[in-house]
Amino acid sequence: MRSAFLAALPVGFAALLCAGSLGARTLTVTPSDNLQAALAMSRAGDTVRVVGGHHQGHFKVSVPMTLAGENSPILDGGGHGTVLAIDAPDVTVRGFHLRGSGDSLDMENSGIVVLAPRARVENNTISDALFGIFLRKADDSVLRSNQITGKDLDVPRRGDLIRIWYSNGVTVEDNTLSQGRDAVLWYSQGLKIRRNRALNSRYGLHFMYCDDADIEGNTLSNNSVGIFLMYSRRLRLVGNTIASNRGPSGYGVGLKDMDDALIENNALVDNRIGIHTDSSPREIDSIQTIARNLIAYNDVGISILPDTQRNYITTNSFLENGEQVQVAGSGQLQGNIWAERGRGNYWSDYAGYDRSGRGVGEVPYRSESLFENLTQRAEVLKVLAGSPFQVALDFAARAFPVFRPAPKLTDPNPLMTPVLPQGVPALPRKQGRGLAGTATGLMLALVAIAGLPRAQKDPRRPRRLRTPTADPLIEVEALTKRFGAIEAVKGVSFAVRQGDVVALWGPNGAGKTTVLRCLLGLFPFSGQVRVVGVDMRSRGRLARRFIGFVPQELSFHDRLSTAETLEMYARLKHAPLARVKELLETLGLMEHHRKSVRALSGGLKQRLALACALLSDPPILLLDEPTSNLDQAARDDFLSLLSDLSRAGKTLVFTSHRPEEVESLATRIILMENGKIVRDTQIKGTPSEAVTDADAHSELKDATDILASANPNECGLALEGH
Amino acid sequence: MDPSVVLVLAQKELKDSFRSRWFVVFAGVFAGLALALVAFSMSGAASYGISGFGRTGASLVNLVLLIAPLMGLTLGALGLAGEQERGTLAYLLAQPLGMLELLVGKYLGMALAILGALSAGFGVSAVVILAQGGYADGGDFLALMILSYLLALVSLSLGFLLASLVRSSVTALGAALFVWLMLVFVGDLGLMGTALVLRFKIDTLFVAALVNPLQVFKMASVIRLGTQPEVLGPVGVYASRTYGSHLMALLVSILLVWIAAPLAGSVALFSRRGAA
Repeated sequence: MRSAFLAALPVGFAALLCAGSLGARTLTVTPSDNLQAALAMSRAGDTVRVVGGHHQGHFKVSVPMTLAGENSPILDGGGHGTVLAIDAPDVTVRGFHLRGSGDSLDMENSGIVVLAPRARVENNTISDALFGIFLRKADDSVLRSNQITGKDLDVPRRGDLIRIWYSNGVTVEDNTLSQGRDAVLWYSQGLKIRRNRALNSRYGLHFMYCDDADIEGNTLSNNSVGIFLMYSRRLRLVGNTIASNRGPSGYGVGLKDMDDALIENNALVDNRIGIHTDSSPREIDSIQTIARNLIAYNDVGISILPDTQRNYITTNSFLENGEQVQVAGSGQLQGNIWAERGRGNYWSDYAGYDRSGRGVGEVPYRSESLFENLTQRAEVLKVLAGSPFQVALDFAARAFPVFRPAPKLTDPNPLMTPVLPQGVPALPRKQGRGLAGTATGLMLALVAIAGLPRAQKDPRRPRRLRTPTADPLIEVEALTKRFGAIEAVKGVSFAVRQGDVVALWGPNGAGKTTVLRCLLGLFPFSGQVRVVGVDMRSRGRLARRFIGFVPQELSFHDRLSTAETLEMYARLKHAPLARVKELLETLGLMEHHRKSVRALSGGLKQRLALACALLSDPPILLLDEPTSNLDQAARDDFLSLLSDLSRAGKTLVFTSHRPEEVESLATRIILMENGKIVRDTQIKGTPSEAVTDADAHSELKDATDILASANPNECGLALEGH
Repeated sequence: MDPSVVLVLAQKELKDSFRSRWFVVFAGVFAGLALALVAFSMSGAASYGISGFGRTGASLVNLVLLIAPLMGLTLGALGLAGEQERGTLAYLLAQPLGMLELLVGKYLGMALAILGALSAGFGVSAVVILAQGGYADGGDFLALMILSYLLALVSLSLGFLLASLVRSSVTALGAALFVWLMLVFVGDLGLMGTALVLRFKIDTLFVAALVNPLQVFKMASVIRLGTQPEVLGPVGVYASRTYGSHLMALLVSILLVWIAAPLAGSVALFSRRGAA
């Protein structure tokens, strides 16, 4: 039988086989050789040396032997079953790349399955495997320096990268596990789990019914849960780094029904919950020790079920956890020890002092928070967590002791400085993705935004106003304006012809300014206002293009300069920016163009307002008490400007209470009282019309009469001045 | 609506904001506090080798919850009511433009100014994280800033609405501070009391919490920063399980509604009132 089999072997392999010694032989398998066949014919104590190559299939080792890979030979299961099965004791497998197991959870398809004691699985790479290494009844085996990566499946469909089942005294050292479900260690005593790394899985390590295990120097990060210890006795969890485990339960370390566990000198950082302990210790004569751990930057530092007792929690450093200690459920923590031999824990939120210099606070640390207290009673209120309200509520509780909640715990001897763990593995360094780009983008956005106000562009197509052909230019019919119960303007009708200079005249409260504002469409009114034939109510924006407005209260934006103000209004009116310079020069504002508007005198502001009104060279100017804030010289100066504009063909409508202004400027006076027009008189021809001396004299006399009748007191005062 | 007019007004508003003491103080305080928070978080975290953005992000969320609404509300209310009080609003409306253009232009300008302030704060923080060799995902960082920006815009809209309801800038400022206090503290206190007394069901409490845009922002930030919804208790879990992957879209939509509705209200009220 054997000779028949050998006859089937390739010549090269047979030659190499013959090169072996008669006792413990070495069989060398080259890439072209059949590994299956070599394994089948190997004897106890043989070494099968596999040099490189890609060996497809499912392999089995059934005698004690060494299977040694050189140049990383690949054993490829092709996506089916288990890649390598070992059912003999004392087998060593090292230096292989095993990949492509099946994906059946029921069949427990694995990279390597060991079903006998004292196996040594070292320096292998296992990838694309459902289960990585599965030990069943494999006492005293050693798994060392293997790199195991699971299949790219959803977590529930993945397998365990290491599963140790009924295997006592197993050593698991220096392995790296990633993208698996769990590393499961069940029903096995005296395990030694050292310096392994478990990343991006569900449970980094999951112990159940495993007494006397040593778990030391491991790094468990970015898993759903770092390590869950259950139903075991005398476990030592020492010197591990357990970080960023933030799954739904998100425990760094979970402890369930454990007895005499020692959790010491670990770094528990950035987990959702640093340590969660539930009914541990379980037995009445056992304790649990949690000491010298760094518990930092977790959402919850330590979470304890209220019936949990006999925990010795001392010399730990609770640093900046969202909630330092959480009572999981309702009730108070009792029967746990927070300080031993005069030394408690370090609490980053402790606000006490150390007078004696012993490094221990004089005042006990009380873990109390009204908000946490309330959410303990009504968990739904956690929806408000993390808001300023939470901070305010806790501050109020501290400030007013009547609201002070019962403390969750009292540490009688809080430490003043943290006690940091020694010799723990460094935390895995994360790499930021795209932050540099984001920072650059934000800074560029800032520069762009800061530069926006300086971007000045001439309107692409400055709009020229068409020469109005409508006459009258302004038509007002049955204009009525109410302010609540008050009717400020009552059915006013009038028309303004091209070239008219109309003074709206009357006592205070007569409705002059309101009429002017209605002409601008500044607020809703009833009746009709048409400007150059355009209805103000329905097409106000277009109608206002034919109007320049000079208000009584000069309302400019004080933070802008004279030139900036004119430029802004030029762009609003679609006027060419060249017009700004032209008007600055024409109206004598050029030397003030850099000045802030607030620094201008009343006269200069009035000129600026006129300049703004003239930017688009509109046919109509509306002026509300245009000289009310000016001194005599500025007034004369301004009136002369208006006269020039009138002579240039502009139509002016202005309100005024100064008779001399009306006399010198107006060609027509509309007298208003109580919101009505009481008289409408043409006192001069328009500048383009010839008026005889006799006509002028007669109209001026009429005007004086009108002024006198309008408001005797006001006119009297004004005329005295005149 | 004439976009060129809107842009001119926005540009003017932006210039005005950069020269406003209020704005400079807000922007400075935000950038300073963000910088201090990040530097503090990084220095503590870096010494233990952990420098993830989660915790820094959580601190920034808290800062944003305080500063962004205050910035938006006061700038919006003061900017518009002050303009009304000084008469510049009426003068602007005397130009060939409409109320919608005016308010949208002002809003856009202020919104850009706030974007500048937030960019400065977040940008400087990102630089500090980078300089200290810290870790932060650019996407997370940007998402938090965008959410903060949406919250600031909500507050700005509310500020505009307040300005359309009052006449003087002092009253507007008082109202803005009152609303800020309501949103940040009193609303949550009321919600807590009501939830306890009336024993709100989880779905009712979820809806009630979403009435406050600050809670919406906070919930969206918690989800975006990868924190488990359990942090927000049963309500967080309920929201996560009920809306799943659509939860973020829902929360952002609520913020957008909070931006649009008060702004539309403000435009309607001003249009009805005019520049009276």
